[in-house]
This record gives sequence, C-alpha cells and structure tokens, in this order.
Amino acid sequence: MTAAIPSIALVGNPNAGKSSLFNALTGARQKIANYPGVTVERKAGHASFADGRPLSLIDLPGTYSLTPASLDEAVTRDVILGKQAGETRPDALLVVLDAANLDNHLCFALELLALNLPTVIALNMVDLAERDGLTLDAGRLSRELGVPVVPTVAVRKRGLAELLAAVDDAIRSHQPREAVAAPANDASLHQRARALARAAILTETPVRRWTQRVDNVVLHPVGGLVILVALMFVMFQAVFSWATPFADALEAGVGVLQSWVVDSFPDNFLRGLIVEGLLAGVGAVVVFLPQILILFLFILLLEASGYMTRAAFLMDGLMGRVGLSGRGFIPLLSSFACAVPGIMATRAIPDEKDRLTTILIAPLMTCSARMPVYTLIIGAFIPAQKVGGTPIGLQGLVLFGLFLSGIVGALLVAFVLRRSVTKGNATGFMMEMPRYQWPRAGDILIALWQRAWIFLRRAGTIIAGTTVVLWLLLTFPQAPAGQSQVEYSVGGRIASGLEVVVKPIGFNHDIALALIPAMAAREVAVSAMATANAIDAGDDEEAMAEALGDRIAGRWSIATALAFLAWFVFAPQCISTIAITRRETNGWKWPMFMVGYLFLLAYAAAGITYWTAVAFGLG
Amino acid sequence: MTALLDKAPLGARVRIARIDWDAMSADEGRRLREFGLMEGCEVTPLHRGSILSRDPLALAIGRMKVIIRARQAAAIEVESAA
Repeated sequence: MTAAIPSIALVGNPNAGKSSLFNALTGARQKIANYPGVTVERKAGHASFADGRPLSLIDLPGTYSLTPASLDEAVTRDVILGKQAGETRPDALLVVLDAANLDNHLCFALELLALNLPTVIALNMVDLAERDGLTLDAGRLSRELGVPVVPTVAVRKRGLAELLAAVDDAIRSHQPREAVAAPANDASLHQRARALARAAILTETPVRRWTQRVDNVVLHPVGGLVILVALMFVMFQAVFSWATPFADALEAGVGVLQSWVVDSFPDNFLRGLIVEGLLAGVGAVVVFLPQILILFLFILLLEASGYMTRAAFLMDGLMGRVGLSGRGFIPLLSSFACAVPGIMATRAIPDEKDRLTTILIAPLMTCSARMPVYTLIIGAFIPAQKVGGTPIGLQGLVLFGLFLSGIVGALLVAFVLRRSVTKGNATGFMMEMPRYQWPRAGDILIALWQRAWIFLRRAGTIIAGTTVVLWLLLTFPQAPAGQSQVEYSVGGRIASGLEVVVKPIGFNHDIALALIPAMAAREVAVSAMATANAIDAGDDEEAMAEALGDRIAGRWSIATALAFLAWFVFAPQCISTIAITRRETNGWKWPMFMVGYLFLLAYAAAGITYWTAVAFGLG
Repeated sequence: MTALLDKAPLGARVRIARIDWDAMSADEGRRLREFGLMEGCEVTPLHRGSILSRDPLALAIGRMKVIIRARQAAAIEVESAA
C-alpha cells in the first residue's frame, strides 16, 4: 500500500456529539493547532482501520448549514469544499447526527450528501434516544439516503468498528452518485428532512420529561439565578481549598530539588542561575497547577453537562442590558481559566460589535494566571478564619470578592463601550439548548491534560525565560559588601525608577521590581519576587527557607497588599492576551486601546484602594 | 385567534401562522429556519429569561430546545394548535 493516508472529516450540527465521537475514535492521539491565518482551533487526530492501516481524522466546528454565520462555521464550509488554505479536501465525510434530533440534523446531512463525497452517517447517541423512548430504523434511513448509516454511542465506544469499516468501504467503492440535488429552499429541505425522520422512527413516545423537569428548576426566573451564583461560589471555594494539599506537595518537591542541587554542585554561576533563577521562579508558578486544573475541571464539567447554555440563557437578560448577549457568557466564563481561549471562543458571536466588546472585556475576568498573585497575597495578609461562625472561609470570600470586582468592572466597561467606541445595533441571541448529559470522564481527562500541558509549556518557555533574564539583571553588577544585591543591580535600579510612578498608589520596591517582568505573564510577578527573595537571602539558609508569603507579610502594609490586589484585577499584563487580541481584531488598534484603558483602570483602582485603606488606618 | 410569540403563554403548544422576515436581519432569519422555525410548524414556549430581564425565550420545537430573543419572537405570529 503506497496510497496516502485517507483523511476523514467529522461534520455535524452543534450538540450532535461530534467531539465525543472524535475522542472515542482517536483516543489521546490528537493534535490541537490553529488553521493558518485564522484563530479557529483545528482538531486533528489519528486512528486505524481494523487491519491496521492508518487514517487521519479532523473534527470540524459544528454548524447548521453550509452557509456560515460565524468564523468557525466558515472554516467548516471551506474545509469541506476544499477551499481552506493549507488543508487538503477530505477524502470522506463522517456526518454525525443526534439520533434524538433527526428531523433537524438531517437538513444539514442532506446538504452535505449533495456534495457527492464518499459519506458515512453516524447515528450518534442512540442510547439517549432510546432513553427518551425513540426507536430508529438505521437500515431504512440508509436505504432512503443511499449511504451507510451506523448507529453509534460514542461515549461507550459502541459502533466504532462498524463505522470505520463503512468509511473504508465508502472510500474504496465510491462512484459519483446520481446527483441528488439538495432541495432548493429551506422550507422544502425541512420538509424532506422531516419526512425522512418520520420514516426512520419506529416508535416514539412524547418528549423527554426528565430534561424538562430539571429545566423547570434550573431555569426558574429566581431559583435558577440562585443556583448559578451558588455554583460559581462553590467553584471558587473549591479552587482555594481542594488544591492546597497538592500545591503543598509540589512546593515541597521544588524545595527538595533546590537543596539537592545546592548539595550536589559547587557554588558557581550556573548553580545560582538554576537554584535562584529557574527553580525559584518556575517553581513558584508551577505550584499553582492544581488550582488551574480545578478551575478548568469545573468549566469543562459545566460545558459537557449542558449546563453552560442554561447559564448563558439566565445571564442574557443582564448581558443584554449592557449591550452584550448571553453568547458572550461562555467566552467570558472560559476567560476565568485564561483569556486566550476565552477570546478565541468569541468567534461564535455573530455580531461584530458585540464580539469586539466581549474581546475587550475578557481580560477583566479573573484568569488563572492571577491565581498565583491572589493566593500569595491573600495567604500572607488575610487570616485563615471562618466568617462569623459560618463554614465560609474569609480567604475564599476575599477571592470571591476579587472575581466579583472583575465581573462588575467588565459589565460597566461594556456598558460604556457599547455607547461609545463599539456602538451598534442590539444584538441577537439564538442558540440551541443541548440536553443534559453525564460528562464522560475520558473526554474531561483529555481536555484537562491538554490545558495542563499548555500551562506547563508556558512555564517552561515564557516564564522560565523571563525569570532567567530577571535573575541576570538582579545579579549584575555585583554589589559591594554591606549593600543589598537586589537594590544595587541593574534590575533594582530600573525598579527604583518605576517606583517613582507607582509610589503614589502605595507600591513599594518589591512590587515595582515585579511589575516589569510580569508584562510577560501575570504569574511572573510571583516568580520575580521569589527570585529576588532567593538572591536577597543569599547564603543565609534561614532566610532562604522562609516562605515568600511570610517574608512579604513582614515587609508590606495591608494597604499596599490590597492595592496590589486591586491592580491585578485590571492590569493587562499578559503578552499572550495582547497578541491574541491583535490576531482576532486584525490589527494593533484594539489591543492598544485595551492595554491603555486597562492600565488606567488598574492605576485608579489600586490608588483608590490604597488611599481608602490608609484612611482606615491600615497603612 | 392569533397572537405574537413573545406574549404567548408558557407551556401551551402553538402553531406558527406567519413570520415577518423583514423585521430581522437575513442572518437571523436563516438561523431561525435552521432551527426549524417556519410557517406551519408547532412550538411550545417554555421559559422566559430570569428576574433580571424577561428577555430570552426558550422554545421546544420537536425534540429540540432553542433560545431566541423576545425581539425576534415579536415578529412571529402564532395561533393555538388545537
């Protein structure tokens, strides 16, 4: 066999279970990248036929038809038609249909069949359809459509072998079909789809009562909001309390590694670089991996279970008032993990002004990179006690307050922007509500692993790089005896210059020093302080052992700490976010605008916080 | 008796009598049709926003549930599906 590896594209409506099928077919053998020139995520992977021949699979964004309404839907059309730059036209289409929603999903299938590519239909989630009292005749559907129809349950890996065999067959035996033109207009297309669905349905009992009962509670005009707020609150409490043992273990591990390097190598330039630069800096950031993963876990679970769309429904009223739509809720909630995927997720917002506004406020959502900063400062300054006899922790409450400040700030900014720079028509909000589903552990684990890998790669490149540069700046020139090395070094002098600007808002030399490298990524603020701390400690083992939190608790006033927290609610310190904004808005105008307004807000917020705290005697 | 969908009582099945396609953009109209919302089909309004605003409207259409804005629902004339 010398033939090229066949490439098969998975296509289907949103919520057809495409991604689960893709995961089931490829396992962990997938690669996520971007389509060149656009920031639509390209998910590709490998699988093999029963006899071991490889095939490549590509998971296309879900769409309703070949007429796109958003950027990712346009990619789906272009790939299928072979018009996407750098992408070969797929050898076969694997059309994924939700068995319980045939009359709607068959519309798109009919449109795809008219393209005359080798096609196989996966009648997915047949188990859920059966649960809802729907029995289908796949054979009948196959005869009517003229292509193989294979019943599958992606999450239980049922029907996968049959599916691949059918794809193999379809490619080998493909002859241009008699052109079955798709019905010319929407109404007749729907009529044809409905007729096909009716023919394929053997028995049917009325709709899913179970989902309806849950929705009556979850979408209750008052109760639904209470549940949403409670879920968010539990999420942020969990991020703080569940992660602690894992973070402690990681921190201990970094400590062990540092002592091992100190004990095993002679005291020289390289050892200093590794212990004080790399290990202190990168280690200070890597310990936050557990928190980031817990946050992502919640977001992934909310998404996979179908709740996220309900949340969007509930929030649409509020977001509509500031000129956004419930569509923006999902990108904004993703931005709590990281603004980069959040901004990328705005592609699903059809209205251009709505989308731009959502991009501009995404950095105000408290992303996971702020967690290291918040955790450090809260841990050092806020006592770990319960609030007035309740089981609610004060530290978690402060964290919740910081998240809330970001959200309120974002809504206010959106309100102003939609009436000034991004003025436009009221936007629509049209979305399908997926049915509830039990999230599958495998799908969640694959996604979590991908996030963890992205974070660690960042820690290994951007963060390690900036930390090393910072270490060099802080180590040279060598300070004469009796003078502080950090103050005397190049880095220290730059920080002293910046200190003049930030002194009015209560920032000290430690902070000024951390702010510059933190432009690369917010969490570098913590690693920068850790590196400075390690250099300052020098050979003093006792000072070295003292945790960074304890050290700053002794050196900063509470007012300064609070001002620092307020700064990070707004400050746009993340090169990746600025870069993705430039790419998503095609130019420098909007990222520059974003950076400008966010720095202004950060400065004002930190200042007001500091002056207020000082007035209350916390200076 | 016809009424507008944005005012229709929740939980009662109605048939779409007429849609004023000119009241919405071409994209919005197309998305409505992709959802299967067109003249002659039957829908059940189920939920209406939250107390923050009674705006988005969730509808059951066949075995699918979709969300649209009240502004779009106001362009849809319905009659009781007796």
